Amino acid sequence: MHLARRIFIVKYKHQDFCKKYRFISRRFESSQTQPEIKEEKFDFEDLKVVERIERRKPAIPPFMKDCMVSIFNKDLLAYPEVLNKEEMEDMNNRAARLETIFSDPTKTLNDRQNALKSCSMYAAPLKLTEGGLAFNTTERIKYLETISSDVELAKTLSDHWVSLQALNIGLKPEHMQKLIPDLSLGDRTISLCTKEKTSIRITQSDFRTTAELDSQSIWRIKGEKICLNGSGYFLVLCKIEGDRLCTFLVHPNAEGTSYNKPYVTFDNTPGTPLEGTTDSALSNVMSKSRLDTAVISYSILKNMIMKISKYVRNKFVNGKPLANIPTIRNKVGESLLTLYVAESMAYFTAGLLDEYENPDADLEIAMCRCYTAYAGLQEVLKLLNVPGVEGVEREWNEYLNNYRELMVKDEIIDAVNMFIALTSVFHAGKNLATEVKQMRNPLFHPGFILKKVLQDRHQEKDDPKLTLHLEEHLHPTLQIQAKMLEYAVLRMKFACETLLTRHGVDIVSKLTELERLALAGTEVLAMTSVLARASRAYCIGLRNAEIEMKLAQFFVIQSRERVRQLILDIDRGEYTNLDHYRNEFGRKVLDTGTILVEKPTERVFW
Amino acid sequence: MATKLLQFLTSRPSSIIIRRWAQSDSEKRLVVFDPFTNIKKKDKKTYLDLIKIFEEKDNRRRGHVEFIYAALNRMEEFGVHKDLETYKSLLNVLPKGKFIPTNIFQAEFLHYPKQQQCAVDLLEQMEDNRVMPDFEMEQILLNTFGRRGIPLRKFWRMMYWMPKFKNLSPWHLPNELPKDAMELAMLAIQRITSVDADTKVQLWQTDEIEASLDKTWIVTAQSPSQKVLLEEQPVDEALVIKGPYRVYLRDQSVTYFILLGKTRQEEVDDRDIDDVSNLEKPIGIPGMTGTPKLPVVKCTVHEQDDGTVVAVCATGTSSRDSLLSWIRLLEKNGNPQLANIPVIFTLRSPSMDLSVLESQPTVKEESSFKERE
Repeated sequence: MHLARRIFIVKYKHQDFCKKYRFISRRFESSQTQPEIKEEKFDFEDLKVVERIERRKPAIPPFMKDCMVSIFNKDLLAYPEVLNKEEMEDMNNRAARLETIFSDPTKTLNDRQNALKSCSMYAAPLKLTEGGLAFNTTERIKYLETISSDVELAKTLSDHWVSLQALNIGLKPEHMQKLIPDLSLGDRTISLCTKEKTSIRITQSDFRTTAELDSQSIWRIKGEKICLNGSGYFLVLCKIEGDRLCTFLVHPNAEGTSYNKPYVTFDNTPGTPLEGTTDSALSNVMSKSRLDTAVISYSILKNMIMKISKYVRNKFVNGKPLANIPTIRNKVGESLLTLYVAESMAYFTAGLLDEYENPDADLEIAMCRCYTAYAGLQEVLKLLNVPGVEGVEREWNEYLNNYRELMVKDEIIDAVNMFIALTSVFHAGKNLATEVKQMRNPLFHPGFILKKVLQDRHQEKDDPKLTLHLEEHLHPTLQIQAKMLEYAVLRMKFACETLLTRHGVDIVSKLTELERLALAGTEVLAMTSVLARASRAYCIGLRNAEIEMKLAQFFVIQSRERVRQLILDIDRGEYTNLDHYRNEFGRKVLDTGTILVEKPTERVFW
Repeated sequence: MATKLLQFLTSRPSSIIIRRWAQSDSEKRLVVFDPFTNIKKKDKKTYLDLIKIFEEKDNRRRGHVEFIYAALNRMEEFGVHKDLETYKSLLNVLPKGKFIPTNIFQAEFLHYPKQQQCAVDLLEQMEDNRVMPDFEMEQILLNTFGRRGIPLRKFWRMMYWMPKFKNLSPWHLPNELPKDAMELAMLAIQRITSVDADTKVQLWQTDEIEASLDKTWIVTAQSPSQKVLLEEQPVDEALVIKGPYRVYLRDQSVTYFILLGKTRQEEVDDRDIDDVSNLEKPIGIPGMTGTPKLPVVKCTVHEQDDGTVVAVCATGTSSRDSLLSWIRLLEKNGNPQLANIPVIFTLRSPSMDLSVLESQPTVKEESSFKERE
């Protein structure tokens, strides 16, 4: 015992240890940024101005974009906490009021709409002084989760919110003030009109709705759009002056508007342009509809799990309870995991949007949408395999239909993936441009290449050196999983570098490889948010936090394998990962317009 | 030894017997029974009848090898050279059992070489005519020459290779090509236009155009994208009818013509492919896919280096007048733009002077003459 203590003490006194300790502590300090509370300026003379104070920390570099080049902001492993106690209580009260109406199947659509009106949901994005709630993204998600029991209503409301925010930044204040009374009531909602039919002619542009100024200086819109709702206002994305984009507000029953579900046609319809904004600001606002879609989707999954557990409880097979069948338990368990991950991602992203100045979280939002669509649909399909549920009754099928529709709401998942991947390589390209140029011209830079070969030797072996020490920012139980996350993060840069070096500027057209990059990135965000959430829950002692820890560990172990495979496939190239052959099969079928293969009963001779 | 013998036999021309007939004109006269010459009605039925007559005439079937060679030579005349059943009945002329070797020496040293060679020649002719044997034929050969016979080995090789070659062409044709020129043209045009799966092949009659002189058919093909490309052609530059070109369907050929327009410009790519510092950034608006810009560069299979193929046709007479009718019919069927664009005929071997669409404003004769030269 004495001996042990002696050794222990000696070891402690060892200088190396001290160094190491210092090193860790310094790193810890450096990773903390002090929150700066910005003071809002009040006009104390005008007592009517009681606007909501936003407490935002100074801007941080974009999280996932940096992850693509293996720079990880460890502060975010603390999981963002946006709301204070009062705000939280407010939000919960309002959500509870909505919940009572929305969870009751006897209530009609009218009741629900009235509930939304009474909670000022239709005006929620507006300022308090304008009769709104000035909600932030976290609150928005919470409300939308509750409202999602009625999927159609949730979709309409999501469009309405997005449009309101767009109008807020785009319209002139005096014009906006005129519209607010009508828009905040909820009788007329705003529908988003961005999507168009795929062009059917080779010389047609993908985007055909145009707006032109007529002789009286009124913008006239011409074209056809896909739209959810035919009544109320429309927010129409148009092409002006060649190839510039501009959004227009079209009033209800404006001349030249005709609706034939799901297409709305504008024929010289007058519109009000949203001139006060830029393309990027507009896309920041509009991309939130992706987050909304993700939230509505996982809420469907949540409702389905609740319903399945209720259904399974009093059913029997062979005289045994259905709930005892391991396969059914597995299915429900996996659905819970997916739900947990999707929820973590959504709130994590909302935190990024709410907590910092000038948030840049387009990528994270798209990733939420992508994960929820991919993983969620699989779970819904699995749950439909529970005996008795298998699509016999309409209500079960409705879950699937709703989920499927949400999956392609506004855009297909491939388009979301491409957005993720292209934004990632855009960012990575900026960071890695010099290296890529050198690697693509190795004979001009022999020294660099030699260095790179030595540097990348661990990456080539699929075993990067873990240097980020993420475990220091999570609960010690999650040490192994933190290392897995770190592995995934470190591999991302290698993947981007490989792709950019291999294809150069042509990377933008290598869609199959980009899809892999997008999926891997999505997994990284999922891992981060899940670990952060579980760690936070365990540290502050939330109820059932140990289950959360297990869920997180379980997910990260699975996810790490997926990332590993995806990045290995990227590294190996199109012949080894068989993309080339898939591509060829598809090309042949599309070129010939036939199935190509003969029936197995067919033969050449008799 | 056996291989030498085989080489000796195979090196000799298969028409060894014919040569004997050829010699028969000189001193050594052989009385040859060639019943095929005197038949007036030459078809499959009479052919099979003649084989039957031969089989029944003599129990011993003397001269069967000579008979088979004679029959093989006449097959095309009777139009049965692609008929499996005929080959089978011809093979059935050989007696069963007699030629099967009964010991190892016979098997090794080519038992009944003349007969075996005859059967091999028959199979060879089948192969040349792309007639695939079946398993009944295998049984016939087995019963005639036994398991070790050369003909059976030939049969097995044929059964290995022929099915492999049969469907090797990406353009499938029916076993028997149609006799009608119009149907043949349909097949030919379908083959040419298979580059674009959307292409619609249509049959038109020149009767629809009152002014037409040649009353004939036109097989024409145009895909929707070709229509668009035609619509986008500049009005001041003439379209050109080029041809006649020839496309082969097995041993038949079909003449066809193409209507050629101007190709859109090639995409100029002057980016530095190594510079990834400023890649294209996607627009982040959900639902906004693609670009608002017009695609103006060459991107379809119809746009080739020498011009854009906007339509293709084959006519019954391949005459200039029928092509004129084709242009008018094209104009009537969804290509109104043709009324405004001049069309030049640049046939490689024109029988008459250049004929140009009357509605066109200008004729670029110089260029067309150049083409002609």
